Amino acid sequence: MPLKWVFHWQPNAGTTVNSQMLTEVSQCAESINGVKEGRWKATLTFYKPMFRDQAVPAEYPRDFLGISLPEQPNRYYFIIRSQKIVLEADSSIQMIMEKLQSYKSRVSLTFEGFQYQLGDFQLRVGKVAPSASENLRGIVLEVEYLPLSSMEKSRQILDGFVEIWQEAMSKRSLPGHFMHIEPNFAEFGLSDHYTSQHTAVQYATVMAQLISAVQTAQAVRN
Amino acid sequence: MECVVQGIIETQHVEALEILLQGLCGVHRERLRIHESCLKSSPNLGLVASEVRVLCDLEQPEPTWIVRHIGGAMRGSGAEQISVLVRTMVESKVSKNVLRLFYALGYKLDHELLRVGFAFHFQRGASITVTVSSVNKMLKLHATDEAVPVTPGIQLVEVTAPASSENYSEVAAAVSSFCEYLAPLLHLSKPGTSTGVVPTAAAAAASLMSDAGVTT
Repeated sequence: MPLKWVFHWQPNAGTTVNSQMLTEVSQCAESINGVKEGRWKATLTFYKPMFRDQAVPAEYPRDFLGISLPEQPNRYYFIIRSQKIVLEADSSIQMIMEKLQSYKSRVSLTFEGFQYQLGDFQLRVGKVAPSASENLRGIVLEVEYLPLSSMEKSRQILDGFVEIWQEAMSKRSLPGHFMHIEPNFAEFGLSDHYTSQHTAVQYATVMAQLISAVQTAQAVRN
Repeated sequence: MECVVQGIIETQHVEALEILLQGLCGVHRERLRIHESCLKSSPNLGLVASEVRVLCDLEQPEPTWIVRHIGGAMRGSGAEQISVLVRTMVESKVSKNVLRLFYALGYKLDHELLRVGFAFHFQRGASITVTVSSVNKMLKLHATDEAVPVTPGIQLVEVTAPASSENYSEVAAAVSSFCEYLAPLLHLSKPGTSTGVVPTAAAAAASLMSDAGVTT
């Protein structure tokens, strides 16, 4: 499948993301001749363990996530980032988790917005918000290169596109920039050939960055 | 949901059963080699104790994995009148990291089995699967090449069919009806209700083998 890089918006110190920035990013995509297509939506859920006796200390993962992706409507992805585990499953795995009653959904976030076609590239611009509210927590950008699945072979091409994108963005003088942190896919047992499991791992990485940014902003305020 | 019945048959009669099933189902059998790991939640994990099965199909060129949750059986007078077990069952195909994930979540291996045999999948009033297999235990952890039968000389026969809350009675009737054809060789009943081998099995098997032109 085509590979993609997932970026997250890194606000400058002392600033926070707002919906005007999201509008600017979308306009930027259109300014480089991106053709607006449909909407897209991904969902990320944090799971927490349930205990019979709260007093008993327990060692369980605090970063157990579930992700649904628009390009795989019948699949669901589990990630435990700290242990470098990613699992692809049928959507029915969510029903199994409900029946087990060992882990429950703690909070869900949605990533949603519009996608744009630019030649061999597909861009997705999306806001990050808790599922039950419109409260903007971040902005993500997906850059997908349709002809290739090999990450190594496509690296230069993507670098070139990102340069064009960052230049277009810089003209808007927004207080922040898009960052791409490439996970070590090999640690997750993933190969050079891109799959939706790679996308799930990227979203888990983006989530960790968003949480870190919120915690940093809170520390600064305090 | 699924409808299930089980029975046992002596290994010496399995060939005759296969001939009978081949004739009834009209499809080719598929070889079966499934490594089943039964995982249970750690003592304090979950509001209730939970159990999940991880099945690895070793017959495929590349092993494939399934997670299966078997829920409670239907109860009440309606259930007692049905000769097959109707129970909730949810399964999901998963990628190969599944055991690592469940161990990380606090599940532990309770026991593992290797089922070796064959299966028939066919349509007869419902989508029915008949599996005939020896159940083997591993002497060392995950050592599927060194498995020994739990009950030497006896194999397990299982007839299952997926069902929903809307159609389970029809599916149960289809399964029951099919099982009647197997009656000379084995008795199938709800799991947990053991009936042993059937006294007519030897004679029925001999007759089937002779009809098929197989010399014993």
